[in-house]
Formats: sequence, structure tokens, C-alpha cells
Amino acid sequence: MAGDTLIAILILLPMATAAAGLAVKDQLRRPLIIIPSAVLIAASLMLLFQVLEHGPLTFTPAPAWGSVILVLELALLAYFVYLGVVRRHVLVLGLGGLQFALFCLFKFAWLPSGFKAQPALHVDLLAVVLGLVISVVGALIVIYGLNYMDNHERHLKLSATRQHIFFFFLVGFLGAMNGVVFANSLLWLFFFWEITTLCCYHLIRHDLTAEAEQSALRALWMNLFGGVALLTGMTLTYQVSGTLSLLDLTGFGPVGPVLLLPLALFCVAGFTKAAQVPFQSWLLGAMVAPTPVSALLHSATMVKAGVYLVLRLAPAYEGTYLSALLAVFGAFVFMVASLLAISQRISKRVLAYSTIASLGLVVCLAGINTGLAIAAAVALIIFHAVTKGLLFLVVGIMEQGIHSRDIEDMEGLITRLPVISGLAILGMIVMLFVPFGVLFTKWASIQAAATPFSDLYPLAVVFLALGSAAGMVFWVRWIGRLISNVSAADAPPAEPRPEPWRSVSYLVVFSLLAGAVALSALAAPLVSSLINPTVAAMGYSPALDTAGWHLATPYGFFSPWVLFIIIALALLLPVLLVRIRPEEVQPVYLCGENQPATGPTFRSIADQATPAQTGGIYWTRTFGEQSLNTWVNGAGIVLLAALIVGVIV
Amino acid sequence: MSGFDWSVGLAALVLAPFVGGLLRGIDRKLTARMQGRIGPPIWQQFYDFFKLIGKARAATTKGSLVWIWGYLLLTMLTVFMLFAQQDLLIIFFILAFAGACLAFGAFSVRSPYSQIGAHREIMQMLSYEPILLLAVVAIFLQTGTFKVSGIFEYGQPLLFTLPLAFVAVLIALTIKLRKSPFDISASEHAHQELVRGVYTEYSGRFLALIELTHWYELVLILAFVALFWAQPLWVGVLLALAVYFLELIVDNVEARLQWNWMLSISWAAGVGLILLNIIMIEMFFGNVLRL
Amino acid sequence: MGLVAKARVKSPWIVHYCCSSCNGCDIEILACLTPLYDVERFGVLNIGNPKHADLLVVTGPVNKRNVRVLENIYNQMPAPKLVMAVGACACTGGVFHNCYNILGGIDKVIPVNVYVPGCAARPEAIIDGVVLALDKLSKIK
Ligand code: SF4
Repeated sequence: MAGDTLIAILILLPMATAAAGLAVKDQLRRPLIIIPSAVLIAASLMLLFQVLEHGPLTFTPAPAWGSVILVLELALLAYFVYLGVVRRHVLVLGLGGLQFALFCLFKFAWLPSGFKAQPALHVDLLAVVLGLVISVVGALIVIYGLNYMDNHERHLKLSATRQHIFFFFLVGFLGAMNGVVFANSLLWLFFFWEITTLCCYHLIRHDLTAEAEQSALRALWMNLFGGVALLTGMTLTYQVSGTLSLLDLTGFGPVGPVLLLPLALFCVAGFTKAAQVPFQSWLLGAMVAPTPVSALLHSATMVKAGVYLVLRLAPAYEGTYLSALLAVFGAFVFMVASLLAISQRISKRVLAYSTIASLGLVVCLAGINTGLAIAAAVALIIFHAVTKGLLFLVVGIMEQGIHSRDIEDMEGLITRLPVISGLAILGMIVMLFVPFGVLFTKWASIQAAATPFSDLYPLAVVFLALGSAAGMVFWVRWIGRLISNVSAADAPPAEPRPEPWRSVSYLVVFSLLAGAVALSALAAPLVSSLINPTVAAMGYSPALDTAGWHLATPYGFFSPWVLFIIIALALLLPVLLVRIRPEEVQPVYLCGENQPATGPTFRSIADQATPAQTGGIYWTRTFGEQSLNTWVNGAGIVLLAALIVGVIV
Repeated sequence: MSGFDWSVGLAALVLAPFVGGLLRGIDRKLTARMQGRIGPPIWQQFYDFFKLIGKARAATTKGSLVWIWGYLLLTMLTVFMLFAQQDLLIIFFILAFAGACLAFGAFSVRSPYSQIGAHREIMQMLSYEPILLLAVVAIFLQTGTFKVSGIFEYGQPLLFTLPLAFVAVLIALTIKLRKSPFDISASEHAHQELVRGVYTEYSGRFLALIELTHWYELVLILAFVALFWAQPLWVGVLLALAVYFLELIVDNVEARLQWNWMLSISWAAGVGLILLNIIMIEMFFGNVLRL
Repeated sequence: MGLVAKARVKSPWIVHYCCSSCNGCDIEILACLTPLYDVERFGVLNIGNPKHADLLVVTGPVNKRNVRVLENIYNQMPAPKLVMAVGACACTGGVFHNCYNILGGIDKVIPVNVYVPGCAARPEAIIDGVVLALDKLSKIK
């Protein structure tokens, strides 16, 4: 199939499906969504092979499309202003109005009529890797959403289903997201960017509770702020260089200093979308949305659009002040988000903070701007999307199983919901430990940060080290809560709840986990076949050597599959070989005051049987939002200001 | 990896328990002498080990036993990799996994003592992890590689250019070796407010496994210290032994501290010292990577 | 298992439980750990956790309230294990004999291997008792 057709399918098919979903009956929704999802996955794979074989594709649709987009865009921008009026939200109104005015001025007054940024779409390897993540992980999450939303609405006891609206935005979003990563013309990019903002707003407020509305508005104004930054950057780019094509910006190596300011503004736009400090609050608020939304928009794809933009522009600001500061800023976000996550006991908020941290790491890597760093960034985007998407879906299933998002309510879940808890634990181990993919990227990023890419590198590397230790704390504690189990002597063996583990939701989770594990074990072939070419296509020299399926940098050596086998053996053999005979089982130590009962129970005052309660420690006074937020946001704003001011000066 | 690396690594795996156990025995003997006691024989640890092996099996949950095996096997893997001169970053990542396994083992029993111990254990990891990672980075800035083999090729003792990082590593070691003032997750001696914290629910041979792991850990850590004077290596070994002796003195004169003290000391002093050292490298010694 | 049997004698770890003693004997037990007597030279450790211990050292008579605690601690010790009653009270009830709440010596509740008499038992006597206990330990197959 021709590349143009594939691109068209990837962008238009989700949108068409979304529109059709509004029209059809509820019973037809499943086939209507599952079939295009499969097509989407196939199309993205085919596009990947095309690009790998024939190099980047460019594509400019017929001029009529330009007008269609212009009309839609104006409608969209007007809609944001309308939202500001209806919801009486000053910031939305102000930023929406500003955006609208700026866009009209730019499009109709400053830009010569008939101006075209050629080509409109440009699909190189980086774009196609992102497209693959969006289509594969995205389609899986959408399929998962089918079951999830049924349960969700049953739980909420809605009189009339609102699923058609939900899937309209969720599926349509995939097309917009593909559009963002394929766009070359900044005008097109801006259009798709705004659509993702729109989808994000509607999906967050989907449940229509007061909290949901409020969070949605916060997400909206922050993303509109990003939109304004993007638009301003675009205007400046045009004034300075007369072009609106990303290819022109990134094609010829580092740009002149005059273009740095628009680039910095693009980065700021990226930070709002990727919820970097000080914009992190919208992502945390967004956790009220149904879980497929969190998985799709707020971890696997939409927030990635932000870091994608930063990464895409990396060749343009290579070696500049902007690059150096981006590295420090990203590492800073990585650190503080990880620290803040320590104090969180709501599972989705932990995931949100950890997402922010990972995105910060990508920004940091883009700022480091060497071949190794860019490779690590691309790898992290892939691994993070798969793993974090997986973890969100797992949390969604748990939440519907125990009707709580609180990690404390998950104590000992491994005995109650063994399958999903096992998947969760594996997912977290994949997220956290050698030899899995995310750790591979951490290994590469510490190496990249330790090479003196700029005078500020010690700061970046210190932030990275502190952040990665902090990441350890909250993941280990979470796993610890899940496996915290009463002794078999204290309780009758807990009845595992019947889990619908053959259902589609579980299937999706299984396949994501299998994907994450397989990609980790095969990290070296992945690097050699996909990541190194991507890095090379962006104009860097690939720094990872994959001979013998080992990963070697000029400075270090890591053999994923060997370690994979050894560590799997070290953990699996005991599982198979360690046996406890019933007579060996003992109750836990409770100072000799054990009372035979279900669960560890001791005799307390007046011989009352008191259950021994254990709980997670969250160190809220040290790492809580209340104690850290002011400092974190302050430092974030200072860093951003330094970014902009430094670029101007 | 050459055949030589393999054989050194395997030899280390075989010998480390003997060295580690003996060092722990000397530790107990010296501690006793510092307190004016005669103390146990220096091979006391081996007696303890075999006695524990011979005890009747007892357990609370299967999970805790599985994780403790993971703790042992992963620690052994790190020892092998260090002596086979592999990538230091990867070694410390695996060491973190091993440490997490210990915490998981304690987490998987709903026992108040081991749960508190497990939480403190992860606080300890939060304290020493950054120091170890940054120490590796500081070494990298001098040798230009993360591999242990690079340190041997470097020729000059690292201690000359990394004195502050070395001091920071000492702070991390105190935590990792579970010595006062930072033995907060599980006290090694008879301080008993946690009934030995993370180890509370283990008995018999599983306690022996933990002891064995400690011996491996001790060898690993002292070997890492020795890397600061890798050429000639015997000075490094003496350095490591001197450091161990220093830790003993600190252990005996210090009271135990709370976790927040541990965290602030290791982050402010430990990380701060390494940062200072990196700046020193940049200003005075020259960074090998800026050619 | 020659090695294990030998090691057993060299490394008795103690858990000390004070039933309802007057604390006289407890102080003497702690005195054993001091530099003057230093039982650690025999490998003795005061370990404080029954799951780790080999030797249960009990002071004071057992009463109605703590009998179950004593039993529980004894049961949580993995075999082979020994019990040593320290002081007249632990052996027979001593001065508390026939009190309304006292059951008597601890051998009313758990099997005792070594009796160390005295009120309070002297550290020398306690160390003697430990040595006797080790002797018995060496005979356990
Ligand atoms: S034997 Fe004497 S010293 Fe010991 S507990 Fe009884 S009364 Fe106290």
C-alpha cells in the first residue's frame, strides 16, 4: 500500500470511526471499534516497514484539505472561547481569546495568503516510532475501554449510557495524535495539537462530577497556555525565518540564536502538554477521568506529544544554552516528581507523578542532546508507553475489583485478586529493575548525563541519581503493600476471588506485559533495528553498539538477555523449589501475645482480641505536596524563566 | 568477557563467603575488645551459620522465603559481576534489586516489626543509592568508563582525585553495612526495639541465607572501596580493611539515629561532597572526557 | 551432621523472658553480658526474638496472665531448643509460691532442661547453667 494511503488511514480512520460511533447503536460499538483498531495496528506496522525500507515519506494533501482544516480550526478556537464564557472561567476565556485573536492575526494578516508550509506531513522514523506507539498501545487501550466502560457505567448506575461520547473523543483522539506526530507544517501541528487539548478536556470531564469539571477546566487552561506558547513561537519563527516547516528548522543542524526564542516557546508548549513542573497539577487532576483515559492520554500518548515536540526540535538547538538548561530542567522535574510520588497513597496519582518524572527524563535527554541521549529518549518513550499504559490498565481493573484507588486498600491483594496483582507486580518490576527496558534507558541516561555535555552536567546527573532512588521508594512500597500477606498460620488460606481473567481487559493487560518483557529481553535488536536508525535519521551518530545482542556504549556494557535469563532464574527457581509444609507454618511474632484468629491478632487491654494492623508509611510531612509544592513550583517557574530570559539575552 | 574474567568472578563467588564470614567474625571480636570484653572466636559467624542451617524449618509465608532467595542470588550476581570487571552502573542497579528483594521479603508478611523494618529499609535505599550512583559517575569522570576494568587500566589511584567522593562512599557504606548510626532497618546487635526489623520473621536456614548474603555484600562493598586504590591492588585491600576498621569504631561510638537524620546527612553531606568533588575535577584535575 | 552438631554448641542464642520475677535475676542475666563475665565468648547472643533463638531463659514464676505468652514464645522457637529456668522463682515459684495468681515454677507449663537455683542466681551460676545446657545440646541428634 502506498505510504500516502497509510498516513491517511492512520489519521482519518480513527476520526471516521469516532464519528460513526456516534451514529450506530450500542450493540454495534464493539465490532465498530475492534475492527478499525486492528486495521490501525496493521497500518502503523506497514508504515514502519515502508519508512525503514524507503526512508522518510512526505505527503501534502490536496489544497482543499487546507481549507477544511482552517475552517475546523477556527471553529475549534471559537469553541474554546465559548467554553470560557459558558463555564465562567477567566483563564480559559482569556487564553482562548488570546489564542483565537493571535491565530486570526497570524493567519489572515501576517501570513501572505496562499502561504503553504511544504510538505504538510513528513513521516520520518521518529514520527513513525511514535505513530506505532500511538496506534498499537492506543488501540489496545481503546479495546480495553470497551469492558471498562460497561463496568464503569454499571457501577455509576447511569440511566442513559454516555459511552458514545466517550468513545467519540477517545478514538478520535488517536487520529489527532497521529496527526501531531506526522505533521511537518507547524500550522497542521497546531491544529492537531488543539484537537488533543479538546479531547483531553472532554474526556476528563466525562463523569460530569464537580471535581471532574474543575479538573477538566484546569487541564484546559494549562493546555491553552501551551497553545498560546506554540502559536507565539510559530509567529516568531515565521517572522524570523519565513518558514513554518519543522524540516527547515531541524534539517540543517543548530539554528541561529534568533530562532532560539521560538524554540524555547515550543518547548514551553511541550511542557504544558507533558505536565512538567509547574504545570503538573492538571495531570494529577486528570486522574479523576475513567482509567482508559488516564492510560491513553495521560501516560501513553498525549503527554508524549509534549516531549515529542521537544525531542523533534533537539537537533535545532544542539549545543545551545537552551539545550543545557533543558537538561537541567528535565532532570529537576524527574527528581521532584519522583520525590512527590513518595507521599502519594492514591494509586493513580502515584502513576501520574511517575509519568511526569519519566517525561522529565525525556526532556532531560533531549537537552543532553547527544546520540546516546537521544537513543535513550526514544527507547524510554517506547518502554514507558507500554509499561505505564499497562500499569494504568491494571489499576483500572483493581479499582473495579475493590472499588478503591487507595494503595492502603490494596494490602495483601495478591491473595484476593491473584492474577491482576501478579500482573501489577510484574509490571512494576519491569518499570523498576534491571534487566528491563526502562532501566536500560536509565542506564543510558546516567551515562549520557555524566558526559560533560555542558557546564551544568553535574547538576543534571545529581538530579537524576536522586530521582531514580526516589523512584525506587514508591514502587517498592507499592509492591510491598500488594504482597503484604497474613501468615498461613494466622488465617485460613484466603479465598481468591473469581477473576474474569479470560476477559478482553485481562487479555490486553497480558499482551502489554508480554510486549514489555519481550521488548526488554530483545532490547538489543530493538536498538539496532529501530532506535539506532531513528537516531541516525535525526542527524546524530548512534552511540549504542549491539554486537552479539549486547548493548555497549563507549563507556559501558549491558547485556539484557544474559541478565534476563540469570535474573529470571534467580527469581523463578525459588518460586518453584521452595515448599512449606503445613507443620512448618508459624504465626507472626507479636511479643508472645498472639491470639488465634483470622489474621495476626494479639491480646490487648483486658484481653481483648485486637487485630495487628499494618500500613504503608508515606512520609507525608517530608515529601508531601503541602510541604514541597511551593518550593517545587517556585523552582520550576524560576527554571522556565531562566530558559526564556536566557534565550532572549 | 574473557576466560580470565570468568574465573576471577567464579573464584570470588566461592571465596567471598569465607572472607566475608571471617571479616564479620573479626568485626565481632574487635567490637568485643573495644568494649573491654574477650569476645567470641573469629570464626564464630561460621558456627552461627551452620547452627542455623541445622535448625528445624519454620516459616510464615512462602513469599518471604522466595524473595530471600532472590536477595541471595542477586547479591551473588553482583559479586560475580564486580570481580568479572563488568559495568559498575549495572552492578549497582542489580544491587538495588537485591536490596528491594530483602524489603519485599519483609513486606510479604503482615508482621508489624518486619513491616516497619521494610519501610526503613527502603528509606535506607533512598539514602545510599544516590551516593553509590554518583560515586560511580565520579569514577567515570576520571577513568572514562563505567567498567571496572577501566579502573585497573587507569593506573593512578582514584583516591588522589576523588577524596570527597570517597568520604561520601563511607557514609553510604555505614548504611549498607547496617552499622550505627544508620542501622535503622535491622539492628545487627542486641538493640532490640525492632526485634531485628526486616529479619523478624525468618528463622533457621533462612536466617542463615541472610547471613550468607551479608557476607557477599560485605565483600562486594569492600571490593568497591578497594577500587579507589586499584593500582597496586594490595594497597586497595589495605584501604578497604582500614575503612572497615573505621566503620567498626564509628559503629561503637555512635548511637542509632532516626531515618530523617540519615536521609539529611546522606543527601546533604554525601551527595554534596560528591558534587563538590565533581566540581573539583572540572576545575583542577581535568575531566578525561573533555579531550 | 558433625558440623552442625559442633556449631550448635558454639552458638547458643538466647531469648530472655521475664515471667513475673522481681527483676533480681534479670539484672544478673544482664550482668553475664558485661565485660566482667562476657558470655559472648561462648558465642552466646541475647537475641530477643524467639524465632531466632536456641535457648529460652526464663526468670520468675509463671502466673495466670503470662502462661500463654510463655507457651507462645516457646512454641515459636524452632527445634532444637532448650529451656533454662533461672532463679528460685523460675524453678519452683520461690518466694511467690502459693500466691493467688501464681501457677508455680515454669516447668508447670513448658519442659525445662536446666535449673539454675539461687535468689538471685549469681552470674557464675547462670554461666554454669549455660554450659550445662550446651552439654545437653550436644547430645541432641
Ligand atoms: S529468684 Fe529471687 S531474685 Fe530471682 S526473681 Fe525470684 S525473687 Fe527475684
